[in-house]
Amino acid sequence: MCYEDTFLIQNKCGLHARAATVLAQLAIKFDAKITLYQDDREAAGDSVLALLLLESSQGKYVRIKCEGPDAQSALNAIGTLIEQKFHEQE
Amino acid sequence: MKLSSIINKDCSKAAVLFNSKKRILEYVSELTHEQLPHLEQHDVLSALMSREKLGSTGIGKGIAIPHGRMQGIEQVFAMILVSKKSVPFDAIDNRPVDIFVALIVPEGDNQQHLKTLAAIAESLKDKEFCKQLRHASNDTELYSIIKAQD
Repeated sequence: MCYEDTFLIQNKCGLHARAATVLAQLAIKFDAKITLYQDDREAAGDSVLALLLLESSQGKYVRIKCEGPDAQSALNAIGTLIEQKFHEQE
Repeated sequence: MKLSSIINKDCSKAAVLFNSKKRILEYVSELTHEQLPHLEQHDVLSALMSREKLGSTGIGKGIAIPHGRMQGIEQVFAMILVSKKSVPFDAIDNRPVDIFVALIVPEGDNQQHLKTLAAIAESLKDKEFCKQLRHASNDTELYSIIKAQD
């Protein structure tokens, strides 16, 4: 199964170290291959180093593709995390 | 942009020997105060510790990016420490850490901070480069390896 969707980075700090770590920790929990795309870059969802390379700042759109048995729930969970600003205040 | 663009020779420390997260952060704060005397060591340590309380900066593969935001600096101050022994750091993959790229970051500049993090990631995604860092026997050699990556 393969699901994908695009999400807006809303938190002020963007995909900084803490946000990238929280995302990777969440990604690891699912039986799915999770890939994030921004502009011409792509990153494995479970790699903090790769996520930092996206340099996703506030206002950027990130496309997320999930493949595997948990694809849909992974996409929902990660999308919610991004929409909830990685649990950050602003 | 790579590590060499943010780290100078005085901030490259090879073969350090510490056995705890606290001691590493103390050393980072000492080194920061030494290089930027207008920043008080305890303020730097406090900023670093506060950040770790939000979640470990151990990002996996034996690498950590401890950092803290401070007023009173115009641009990021970065240092690299490579520890002889890996230190438990509550990292995302539960692996102990031996490569520390520590950052003291000016308040506010989020865009620049993301660029700095990307520069670090760009360098450290290279496994062979990390291996070389781990094998550096002194500070000069460590800095040469960083410069050679350009």
